[in-house]
Amino acid sequence: MALATETKFTLKDYKAADPRWCTGCGDYGILVALRRFMADKQLNPASVVNISGIGCSGRIPHYMNTYGIHSIHGRAIPVAMGISLARPDLQLFIESGDGDALSIGGNHLIHGINKNFNCVFVMMDNQIYGLTKNQTSPTTRQGLATNTQPQGSWLKPINPVQFAMGLGASFVASTAEWLTSHIVEVIEAAYAHKGFSFVHVAQRCPKFNPTAWEAKESNWYSFLQHEKGVKADTKYGPDAAIIEHDPSDLGQAFKYAMMDHKHFGVYYQDTSKACYDDIVRSATDKAVKQPRSGLLDRFKI
Amino acid sequence: MSHQAIRFELIMDAGNGAQKAGDILIGAFAKRGNYVYIEPMIPAEISPPKRTPYSMSGVVIRVADYDISNIGSGTDLMIVEHEILLDRRLIDKEYLPGSIVLLDLGDEAKNKEAYQQAKDKAIQAGLNLITFNMDDEAKKVMGELGGNGKNMFYLGMLTKIFNVSREQLETNIRSTFKKLPEEKLKLNLFIFDSGYRCASEMPVSFEIAAHPIEGDKLLMDGNTAISMGIIDAGIKMYCGYPITPASSIMHVLAKQFPQYGGMVHQAEDEISAIGSAIGSYYAGVPSVTATAGPGISLKQEFIGLATSTETPLIVIDVMRGGPSTGLPTKTEQSDLYTAIFGCHGDNTKVVLSVANVTDCFYAPHVARYLTEKLRVPVIVLSDYLSSVSYKVFERPALVEMNSVDDIPHTVLARFGLKPLGPVEMVKDDQSVPGEVGHTRRVTGLNTSSTGQIAYTSDSNIRSHDVRNQKIQVVREAFLTPEFIGDASGDVLVVAWGSTLGSLEEGVMMLRKEGLKVSGLHLKVVYPLPMMLKDLLKNFKHVITAEVAYGDNYKSSPLAMLLRAETLVDVKSTIGEPSGRPITPQEIVTKVKEVL
Repeated sequence: MALATETKFTLKDYKAADPRWCTGCGDYGILVALRRFMADKQLNPASVVNISGIGCSGRIPHYMNTYGIHSIHGRAIPVAMGISLARPDLQLFIESGDGDALSIGGNHLIHGINKNFNCVFVMMDNQIYGLTKNQTSPTTRQGLATNTQPQGSWLKPINPVQFAMGLGASFVASTAEWLTSHIVEVIEAAYAHKGFSFVHVAQRCPKFNPTAWEAKESNWYSFLQHEKGVKADTKYGPDAAIIEHDPSDLGQAFKYAMMDHKHFGVYYQDTSKACYDDIVRSATDKAVKQPRSGLLDRFKI
Repeated sequence: MSHQAIRFELIMDAGNGAQKAGDILIGAFAKRGNYVYIEPMIPAEISPPKRTPYSMSGVVIRVADYDISNIGSGTDLMIVEHEILLDRRLIDKEYLPGSIVLLDLGDEAKNKEAYQQAKDKAIQAGLNLITFNMDDEAKKVMGELGGNGKNMFYLGMLTKIFNVSREQLETNIRSTFKKLPEEKLKLNLFIFDSGYRCASEMPVSFEIAAHPIEGDKLLMDGNTAISMGIIDAGIKMYCGYPITPASSIMHVLAKQFPQYGGMVHQAEDEISAIGSAIGSYYAGVPSVTATAGPGISLKQEFIGLATSTETPLIVIDVMRGGPSTGLPTKTEQSDLYTAIFGCHGDNTKVVLSVANVTDCFYAPHVARYLTEKLRVPVIVLSDYLSSVSYKVFERPALVEMNSVDDIPHTVLARFGLKPLGPVEMVKDDQSVPGEVGHTRRVTGLNTSSTGQIAYTSDSNIRSHDVRNQKIQVVREAFLTPEFIGDASGDVLVVAWGSTLGSLEEGVMMLRKEGLKVSGLHLKVVYPLPMMLKDLLKNFKHVITAEVAYGDNYKSSPLAMLLRAETLVDVKSTIGEPSGRPITPQEIVTKVKEVL
């Protein structure tokens, strides 16, 4: 199927294989949001690469009719890093779960955030290992009984938003898969940001962690709204408070992130942070070029 | 005309500039038309406390009037800074009978007893011990240089001992220290001249015939040659993480690569480095990652992903001693299994090795050719010895490769191969992002030919078959291996990688004695040529020479591989994990034990 450049891409053009997730899985909402965003922005599927690790989240690239790499557990970021250096013309989306991103892939997340290479990083947080069947993850609620900690998960969870901001992420937002407009707008804002855009997505796992996120209620969270950020989603979150929050205010962003009460929206954005991929590429672009024919001359005796 | 080769050592405390002195001297040797082979001896630590055995640092240099391919069997002459280092170096027993030891008595006053013990030990070992002292004037100048400059004294001595032109040395010293202010340079040259005078009063002198350099000769170490090969092979991305002894590839490329349109990415760890190399190649930009020791263990899971996703991947492993952190600055050939079988599941890959500096230069070309044609990982095994050893060699012809189809047949033939036949892929679509009309998605899961996830038995068996058929395509591309010596006889010594030089010299020494001994050296170590079984059967004994562990019950890696693939009773006779290269003499001695 050749896609001529003048063709308008529809939702169908981004659809590949049928997903194999459980009924009611929050991943469906994220998949659809990604497709909707791409159709809205008319991204050419041939220049989009979805890169994932392992877990239920890892299957997204299979279901998106774009280029894609379903890589190894925790290590989508290194693969994406290589693509971003090699091909700045491509649009990169990384899909990762809470275990994939914050446990086995934690080191890469630290350095992806620090290197600030251009990509959208979608962290799908269902607070449980799902594909390996119900084990405690770094974001599992303290006390939740799982197959590996049946007495109740021992530790307080890592707060992903705090984690990202603490490392100096240039873009940090949080949304939920059931907020069908909000999630698309957040992805749009993340895509518009140049750099490593960290998007935390609250995601339900009805099979192993049904009590994690109460999608039917909306009084347990608030929207962070701003003209530079994303609008509140009053349709799917009618009882959520709406707070005006300037995404350039890091101090305030930390205060919201540290509360037990949740906040969805753009926490923080810094458009001045340099991108590692630009720096490395421009070092090569700026270097005075030498012909390879003289490569060995300086080793002559 | 008999050829002459002399091996000498300069042994000093780490940080005192022995390697620098060695580099300056071999430049002068090479310039006047000698062949040199230099092996730095470097402790794993940066600046260990001086006057301790673990501070031993230095250079071993073999200089000859003919083209030499190895560091030789033993040392004829050594200059040693103090008694502790002499005591330490004698343990290695790398000296020849009657070889000369020049011991600096500078520290003797405070360590009389220890000096006496070390001297006694040297004399008991049958060495010709000569002691010397730096003169007071030179010592005073050293004081003005903050205690530095002793290496210049020894360099002056060596210059006189080998009758190298003093003017050439001054030129080389000046170009090496061109950033030094003239007055400091003069002080260094003063110390150098004191050393020169000191040696002229000694009964020690070596004449090595110098021939005017014919053709176009270069002086380079293995890791630099690999770096230059990477550029010439048209690779555009290097992803790495600091690890000894692979790091210098990244250092060289960090300076040079941008000028040739390449990029160097220093990743946060070994795993990330290989992941980014895979990402780059998936996106259509040829890439490479290099590592050593523990790094090759860390990279294994991603190697499997490259196999499964049919993404080209080149991994260079500069082997050092293992297991674990092992011997970071010593040589070993014990990553063979890890390279061939290291990944979980049935994994198909091609493993190349390098025997010398020229191989280092061309290995990236061959690796790129194989990995792009086959879409299986290609591992290049170098080792510490190859990585740091400088050698004078014929300038290799540049390829200036853009596409792998540019590869000259002579470059493939250097690794015993001819061009590959047709190759089938597991997945039909091998497009690169940006190609409209394709949306190739790859995965570590098993897939059908369409690239869709497939868990059925037949599709999994097909994937294995197709991947292994790729390796069969390599087997069918082997040229008949060439022997050192005859194709039949009493003993065949099989070796791989950096042992080629010693293998050639050792086998030739045995053949000169009329013994029916031959050598066989493998550069592609996996897969192996199908005709190998028939070749090995023409010898009464087949033994291997490897810098690796082996005993009566556990074969060394190459021996095990040859036994498994040929059912020939191959013995791991030569070599041990000493951290030091196998010498020609060791081959001679061990082969005679077999005969």
